[in-house]
Amino acid sequence: MTHDEILKGLFDNTILGKAVLVKELTQQGLDATLEPTEMLYKALLPALQEVGRRFELGDFFVPEMLLSAKAMQGALTLLRPLLAAKGDKSLGKYVMGTVKGDVHDIGKNLCNIMLEGAGFEVIDLGVNTSPEKFVDAVQKHQPDIVGMSAFLTTTMPMFKVTIEALKKAGLRDKVRVMVGGAPVTAQYAELAGADAYCPDASSTARKAKELIGATGAAPVGALADAVKAVEQMVSVAEPENK
Amino acid sequence: MNTFAALLTSEQIVRIHEASLEILENVGLLVRNAQAKEYLAKHGCRVDAEIIKFPRQVVEAARAAFPPTFTFYGREPKYDRTLPRDRPVIVTGSSAPNMLDPVTGKERRAYADDIARIARLIHELPGYDVFSISTLAEDAPLDRFTVTRLYPALKNCLKPIRCSALNPTDAAQALQLGALVAGSDAAYRERPFITHHYCPIVSPLTFDFDSTEMLIYFAEQGLPSFGSVVPNGGMSAPLTLLGTLTQGNAEFLAWTTLIQMIRPGTPIIYSSLPTIADMRRGAYSPGAIESGMLVMGMAQMAHFYNVPNGGYIGLTNSKINDAQSGYESGMSNVGALLAGADMFNLGGLLDALMCFDFAKAVIDDDIARMLKRMQRGFEFGEENFAFDDIAATGPGGMFIDRPRTYALMKETMYLSDIADRDARNRWQKQGALDTQARALKRVREILMSDQPSFISPDVDARIRAAFADLPAGECVPPKEWK
Repeated sequence: MTHDEILKGLFDNTILGKAVLVKELTQQGLDATLEPTEMLYKALLPALQEVGRRFELGDFFVPEMLLSAKAMQGALTLLRPLLAAKGDKSLGKYVMGTVKGDVHDIGKNLCNIMLEGAGFEVIDLGVNTSPEKFVDAVQKHQPDIVGMSAFLTTTMPMFKVTIEALKKAGLRDKVRVMVGGAPVTAQYAELAGADAYCPDASSTARKAKELIGATGAAPVGALADAVKAVEQMVSVAEPENK
Repeated sequence: MNTFAALLTSEQIVRIHEASLEILENVGLLVRNAQAKEYLAKHGCRVDAEIIKFPRQVVEAARAAFPPTFTFYGREPKYDRTLPRDRPVIVTGSSAPNMLDPVTGKERRAYADDIARIARLIHELPGYDVFSISTLAEDAPLDRFTVTRLYPALKNCLKPIRCSALNPTDAAQALQLGALVAGSDAAYRERPFITHHYCPIVSPLTFDFDSTEMLIYFAEQGLPSFGSVVPNGGMSAPLTLLGTLTQGNAEFLAWTTLIQMIRPGTPIIYSSLPTIADMRRGAYSPGAIESGMLVMGMAQMAHFYNVPNGGYIGLTNSKINDAQSGYESGMSNVGALLAGADMFNLGGLLDALMCFDFAKAVIDDDIARMLKRMQRGFEFGEENFAFDDIAATGPGGMFIDRPRTYALMKETMYLSDIADRDARNRWQKQGALDTQARALKRVREILMSDQPSFISPDVDARIRAAFADLPAGECVPPKEWK
């Protein structure tokens, strides 16, 4: 395949959300000495812009958006180390978990996809995460942000309990706390003592970057552009009530 | 009414049952709760690492123990409701995170005194049979989650109460409060007027920790509780109605099998909140017609199992009491009634269960009473042909002055005081109010009238002694209304 054929294949198949093919083509591109930045700027990013445009028109539905985002992520797993070697780095560490008593995780998992897409290293504690487990993870990983998810109105009070546990362990001022989940509101997040609330996965990635901006520099260059594109694309595709 | 509408043939129902058994036997469930795992393993389920698989004969044995009725107990026998005999049993929708403030119309968190007002409204509105506590209480002291909700409810409503204690400590407090109100623990257990409800299974096919624990707890205690299955097609279930129905049915069989292992013959309800996710933006869509269709399908499955059924039905995605709210609530409710749903958790919620609204509760009471009217049906009998009226009046005559017309003028028709049927000029003279305004007027009438507590002062003193830090939970009208 010529370079142009590879680029066209990447563009078309990212739009179609064909993750396996996109990853294969990315590898083929690298084998054929295509520059990572060229694949990003000439194929992957324009493809995502096109997906975003079609979604705005109501032409593309959520599953199509997510499949394209996943295809893009597959390519990024190959490209990220190369881009990082050129001066890009991870945005920051994000410890994430569904609170104690709650095993709902679809929304949390969507957040993880978005956060990783945005360049965060995500440490996922899974579901039914006790305050002690959050505290241990914060001690161990020293993340920039800890995120908590609750789907049940009856488990939302665990936000406050977990935040109190962080305070008690002397960790509260060392980490930013974000909360979310279907029944959660900004007002509730404030009552619970969180730093930020996000209604959906894409705004989680955006808000996390904002919070990090206050404490550390965002990466520059090609990866940041790629990340921004994934984010923009999915920001409109977000499942609203999960 | 003794025939039901059907979306499925009897052969299809058997196939769905078979497919559900295949799911339980071959895919199995992830069981997080250790106690549930123990019960299931002990009674013949196969443990396959993290997954528990249900052999067909285990499920069929449990099924043979399903009792055909479920009773909600009120504080007095006249408020008792037994499914399916008393169908349609109308229940409020519960545990909304927020409410619309009745004065400002703005969305906000709810407090114990809000629960008191809601409880009083539901007590007074005749369409409702059971009060499932509509909101949380933001002012609940730490570790008083459920009693803070129950106390204002019991003070202001004699109908059966439904809520969800969080854990054994929380549940013990709820039982203690019940015993204080009933006079003794024995008296409470004789007439357990609080039913607990859970979603023990998180779709797809996962028993959770805490809700499952609580369902086991109440089954062991022999106190009324039940679970709902909540598959969401496209997200936590396949994006076909048949796939969502069948997975939900398998999930129903899973939790009821567990419960029958603990105490055979424990009353259950085939309760559900099935939805399809709107793939345009992923929205959770209980107002969609497909939710109504799924409840109809589940009613058919419940009839096959000879168990009472129902669930969250007649919900809306609308944020206000507009046409969308009316037609979404109305269409699914009628479908479910005709298909034989027994229990309707329909009252008072807007915005896909996110928000309680007083006016919506009144409008849903109107819908509930229409459903009950429909349930009465044609009251078929020789007397009701009214041949004598037809013969006496004859061609070209008028029936309005017949004795039967006089006798039945308040009975034949359900006379709604929320739906407007006046002539336009009369409607204009009376302020040209819309449904929302008329409903809120009714709320005001009820809350502004004198509302003595349903808990006597001496019992109240004992409750305050046991739980000194509880918010008062008095039913007082918002101060702006005075």
